[in-house]
Amino acid sequence: MARNAVILAGGQSKWGVREAHIVDLFQEAAKACLDDVPNLKPKDIDGLIVATSYAGRCSFQVNTAPVIAERCGLKPTSICTRCDTLCAGGSTAIILAKGLVESGCADIVMAAGGEKLYTPQKWEVFYSELASVDHDWDGVHGMGLPPPFFALTAQEHMMHYGTKKEDLAAVSVANYNYAATNPVAQMQKALTLEEAMGAPIVVPPLTLYDCCPITDGAAACIITTEEIARKFTDRPLVYIRGTAQTCLNSVSANFPGAHLADWKHTRIAAEKAYSRAKISASDVKVAQTHDCFSISEVIEVEELGFCKKGEGGEFCRSKQIELGGKVPVNTDGGLLAVGHPFGATGIRQGTEIMKQLQGRARHQVKDADIGLTHNLSGANAEHTILVYGREPVK
Amino acid sequence: MAVLGIPILEDLYPSTMDMWPLEAKEFNRNWTFYENLKAGRLTTTKCKSCGHVAYPPRVICPECYSEDLEYTDLPTKGKVIIFSEEVKGVPLGFDSPLIHAVIDLGVDPARRVLTRVINCPAGTLQRGDEVQLAVFPVPALPIDKGRQGTVMSERVFFAFEPVKK
Repeated sequence: MARNAVILAGGQSKWGVREAHIVDLFQEAAKACLDDVPNLKPKDIDGLIVATSYAGRCSFQVNTAPVIAERCGLKPTSICTRCDTLCAGGSTAIILAKGLVESGCADIVMAAGGEKLYTPQKWEVFYSELASVDHDWDGVHGMGLPPPFFALTAQEHMMHYGTKKEDLAAVSVANYNYAATNPVAQMQKALTLEEAMGAPIVVPPLTLYDCCPITDGAAACIITTEEIARKFTDRPLVYIRGTAQTCLNSVSANFPGAHLADWKHTRIAAEKAYSRAKISASDVKVAQTHDCFSISEVIEVEELGFCKKGEGGEFCRSKQIELGGKVPVNTDGGLLAVGHPFGATGIRQGTEIMKQLQGRARHQVKDADIGLTHNLSGANAEHTILVYGREPVK
Repeated sequence: MAVLGIPILEDLYPSTMDMWPLEAKEFNRNWTFYENLKAGRLTTTKCKSCGHVAYPPRVICPECYSEDLEYTDLPTKGKVIIFSEEVKGVPLGFDSPLIHAVIDLGVDPARRVLTRVINCPAGTLQRGDEVQLAVFPVPALPIDKGRQGTVMSERVFFAFEPVKK
């Protein structure tokens, strides 16, 4: 009989500027995760996949999985490893966990992601970001910190499709307002269009609220099979129906689209994930997309097929990403407002989609039965998509 | 000079904190790229088996996996397709304004190369402007040669700069 992977539980630490060590943050996340399904105990967990990219640089710790396992009271006997795909690390951990539980290599896997990015002297994390892109070919040109790259992306979207600054601001306003009541978000404040439009310049056309913050934090979730999950919870099960991870380049000069606002690799990933999940874009009721910048969400709603190419700005400005809109996006506040501790983000997104599909989200989308998470990572060089559903693929 | 908070690093070189490539022959099989830069040439590798030109240079052909590669010149002048300017908050290691441009060097695979633009005051660059290769020195790489002591290996890197109108 086929083993179908489900996401059973999820939780996160408080995200923001944290007076804590990276292993403290992982412990907070593991506790929040197991508190979500109190019947599940650390001894039940036979696998751990850790997602962190900056532990090596900012916490002087490599081979993180055994360290995290021990501090979290886990004694994995099936798998104990780490993955490093930067902004997509958490989603990668969930994809790997799905494969392991469905193949029978593991039964109950914790996917846990986290970063401690605020170093004792602030220059260090910004400097270390030279490693976030291809160090010798893009980092060395000062492309490590992403605002210039996404400023170019926004300019090309404006040039080719007539997108306006107001369209970008609409994304920031929507996501900040979603996070205003989220107690674990880094930015817990409502934002007006006027504030977003009048914010200080970062790299034109991007201003303060167009950019996600630097964040300390961790998140953890549990991936298991439907049979095992039923022993621990009475909640509706949330299946991981289909996934894809697409990488066509690393160096920016080899960007696969016709220009920086044409995300061919997102379309390929979406097509593959939808096909595996046996759905189409119009089936998606709620999505958590990678809003590292407001412009990213504008382009993502296009490339994921929620609207036509070039109409992402209008889609966001006309509130189609808000509750009651065509596809509510980043309903917990997204990267822009909850924050972005790289390896933790995909797990935060998966946890929010789980809650949406179980009917217990803070900003609940009515009758949500299919949800999606999406990440981009590097210099927009890799795209990762997971499709979740209330029913398994038949 | 000691590193603040880590006195044991006095006069030691941590490559994990070096923003420039380890260009020396001892650490990089594509060292020829940097030697060519020193001569004012922007080059990359071309496969002698299948003819494929790849950027950046590499040690195998990504198309046919041949190891039989040669260096070929890329144009050193191009046109600005689009650019961004960062004036405030420029990260450590770079000067304000930090200007990035996607430039077209007119040949594949260099139709849309993302580069830094230097020697260019803020507010003066325009789309369509012509830019040219600008090679500049960066700190030498101190290589520990055992009994010979530390040998300093000279390094350069590149950006583009506006062609004077």
